[in-house]
Amino acid sequence: MGAFTKAAYFLLHPNQLRSIVQWKVWHDPVHKRDPSKETETEKACFRHLELTSRSFSAVIQELNPELLMPICLFYLVLRGLDTIEDDMTIDLAKKEPLLRGFADLMEIDGWTFTENGPNEKDRELLVHFDDVISELKKVKKPYYDIIREITVKMGNGMADYALNAEHNTNGVNTIEEYELYCHYVAGLVGEGLTRLFVESDLANPALLERMELTESMGQFLQKTNIIRDIHEDFVDKRRFWPKTIWSKYVNNWEDMFKLENREKALQCSSEMVLNALKHTEECLFYMAGIRDQSVFNFVAIPQAMAIATLELVFRNPAIFERNVKITKGDACQLMMESTQNLRVLCEVFRRYARRIHKKNDPRDPNYLAISVQCGKIEQFIESIFPTQDPKKIALTQVQNTNAESVNTMDTGETTFLVASVLGVLFVIGGLMMGAAWLMGARFDMAYDDITSRVGTLVKGAAEVSSVTVSSITSIPTTVVHQEL
Amino acid sequence: MASEKKPELGSVLVIGGCGFLGHHVVRVLLRDYICSVCVIDLRCTRNRRPESDGVQYFEADITDAARLEEIFNQVKPQVVVHTASPPAQSNDSVSHALFKKVNVNGTAAIIKACQQTGVTALVYTSSASVMSDNKSDLINADERWPVIRGAQQSEYYSETKAAAEELVLQANRSAAAPNLLTCSIRPSGIMGEGDTMTLYHLIKLYQNGKTSVQVGDNDNLFDFTYVENVAHGHLLAAVALLQTSKLKIAPLDHERVDGEAFIITNDSPVYFWDFCRAVWNAAGSPHGTEHVWVLPRDVGIVLGFLSEVFFGIIRKPPTFNRQRIIYSCMTRYYDISKAKKRLGYKPLVPLDEAVRRSVKWTLDQQKGEKLQ
Repeated sequence: MGAFTKAAYFLLHPNQLRSIVQWKVWHDPVHKRDPSKETETEKACFRHLELTSRSFSAVIQELNPELLMPICLFYLVLRGLDTIEDDMTIDLAKKEPLLRGFADLMEIDGWTFTENGPNEKDRELLVHFDDVISELKKVKKPYYDIIREITVKMGNGMADYALNAEHNTNGVNTIEEYELYCHYVAGLVGEGLTRLFVESDLANPALLERMELTESMGQFLQKTNIIRDIHEDFVDKRRFWPKTIWSKYVNNWEDMFKLENREKALQCSSEMVLNALKHTEECLFYMAGIRDQSVFNFVAIPQAMAIATLELVFRNPAIFERNVKITKGDACQLMMESTQNLRVLCEVFRRYARRIHKKNDPRDPNYLAISVQCGKIEQFIESIFPTQDPKKIALTQVQNTNAESVNTMDTGETTFLVASVLGVLFVIGGLMMGAAWLMGARFDMAYDDITSRVGTLVKGAAEVSSVTVSSITSIPTTVVHQEL
Repeated sequence: MASEKKPELGSVLVIGGCGFLGHHVVRVLLRDYICSVCVIDLRCTRNRRPESDGVQYFEADITDAARLEEIFNQVKPQVVVHTASPPAQSNDSVSHALFKKVNVNGTAAIIKACQQTGVTALVYTSSASVMSDNKSDLINADERWPVIRGAQQSEYYSETKAAAEELVLQANRSAAAPNLLTCSIRPSGIMGEGDTMTLYHLIKLYQNGKTSVQVGDNDNLFDFTYVENVAHGHLLAAVALLQTSKLKIAPLDHERVDGEAFIITNDSPVYFWDFCRAVWNAAGSPHGTEHVWVLPRDVGIVLGFLSEVFFGIIRKPPTFNRQRIIYSCMTRYYDISKAKKRLGYKPLVPLDEAVRRSVKWTLDQQKGEKLQ
């Protein structure tokens, strides 16, 4: 976007600009790394992090110091693996042992890898991988063991996929395959992270007993990416949407992108969205187990982005034509809302669940199932943060019942109160007039004066008096009503 | 179910067994349980099982205590499932008297018959509406929410259901018959094959071309429950009561089923108008939501009032009134964790499948009517 179109855009969307400004001005990181105290290799690692990751770099750098370095390195190790896996210029026979043995390679002092193709975007990381290795040596043993174990699993998983000809020519077939793929690329990372959080005592150890919650966190993010990236992957001749799902709507994968099949393709995409949405409750549940603000931010930001992305891609024909992504303003607002607490984050989820349900189309075969799933998200949020309190409801009910018995005496009591107020006014008025008379007031002159004026005022008087009377009598009644 | 051993329920008496819910209870009993089934209903002509199923039918008015006792003595039921209730459609003094007579007096007579003939388990069909004042929202409400009674309860039908539920629960382990265990099932928004209310009216709206107005913002969740799931909930409760009766000691409070009420839903609260649209779509509606005109709730209430006035002048019951507007904008959904934990309840049929089946049944009925 040019500067002019950008200005025009923000003029028409002031809320977007507001969110961006707010985030830039008000976001106050829980922790900030201090480069002055860092070693050269540490600094190098953060440089690599900034070069390789757009979305994760900032949140990682704001992490609790206890996990800052371990998670930064964990990220870089996985990125290194990914860079080998991704590179089609490396021969499979060479690639496989590299992937399977990566956890051992990263223990060799000074190991680097320079055989990536010149266009591989993160090749610099592997060229300078010795920086990462020397920092890995300093990581506390329990953290290192976790990083290593996940690297072994991930490397083997990647090697299996690289060798899997069926997967490479035809893509993903069943939903089980789809979820297994998401497990390897996201679920495993999640497993490592959860173990790091619990090991450092920044998350509830109960999360380790319910690993399906961790799995859902990864599945939700990965599935959202896969749905969003359908066009990009199609251009790159890759397919991650499971055949079991799309074959219900079109015969060939290419047909998904043909204009005449747009409605069918949209219905297919809503089944994919529905499939991703089933993880949301477990994701929220997982985040309730985080004990540290910086870790909460770290896990919550991607989740909030994911639910917003799902809303964006839901019934959006643009996903079959180009890359879609949430606007910068929305992203900033989401980051603000997901760096506070679970309650605010739940509001984000509720808001987007409702938007999804509003976009839902009754002609879509997944219509009711999607509506039910959005309802489930709302119900789950209610179960964590209830709006109603049965005790209070019972109490107001008792009060109402009592109020009714009082209400039956209402008119009698009101009359009594009105009479006593008027009586008091009358007595005080009389006393004051008496006092005035004692001190020599000439009521006879005042009376004459008044009667002489009455003639001219007589028309207005009727109105004034009626107003006065009604205002006097209405005051006690309203007071009484307010009291009750 | 087929692979597992079917649970045994002995001799089961279904009261109202030819009614909408009752005949599904009979069907699920025959399908999923080992038992002998008897039915009491006012008329036993409709919704009757074929002879080969071996169900015994007795025509009786449940307010006739002597007749009830006679049947109970003949059948000797172990389990009684009481589903009988007049349709809650009208709201005049005649129907109020009927609600009171059938729901309260009838239930009292059934309790007495159970106590006198040594019945083990009594499961009563209450309604989730006993917790609603018909204007306030119920948001994820569970059994801890108060039952709305007396002047607070604007629907007399719900008042009589609540009164009967109270009688049933008081009869649990009561002095009159300490061995009788009771519980109450509170379903929300029952629909399914045999439904002549919710779905019938909704489908009529579509057939009369009235799908283009939506009152309120449609963010209000509502619980609709498939009738087979409701029947399933009743029978799980019956099994639990029989198991409890075999225990030497009373169960712990958090495991108890006897003397307790249970909300039963499809465990799928759904946006009110989304449900309507799903029904219309299943009934053949070609519409999306482009043609829908959203009427704010307050405007709807004013229109409802005008309609009441108009129909008041021409002396006809209004087709459209304020209560309807309120219902369509009300949030009313429930948390059924208690039934899940204590009864092991889980809906057998999901909501979308339930809508498909029930709408198909309603349309088939209409075709049948036309042929006749």
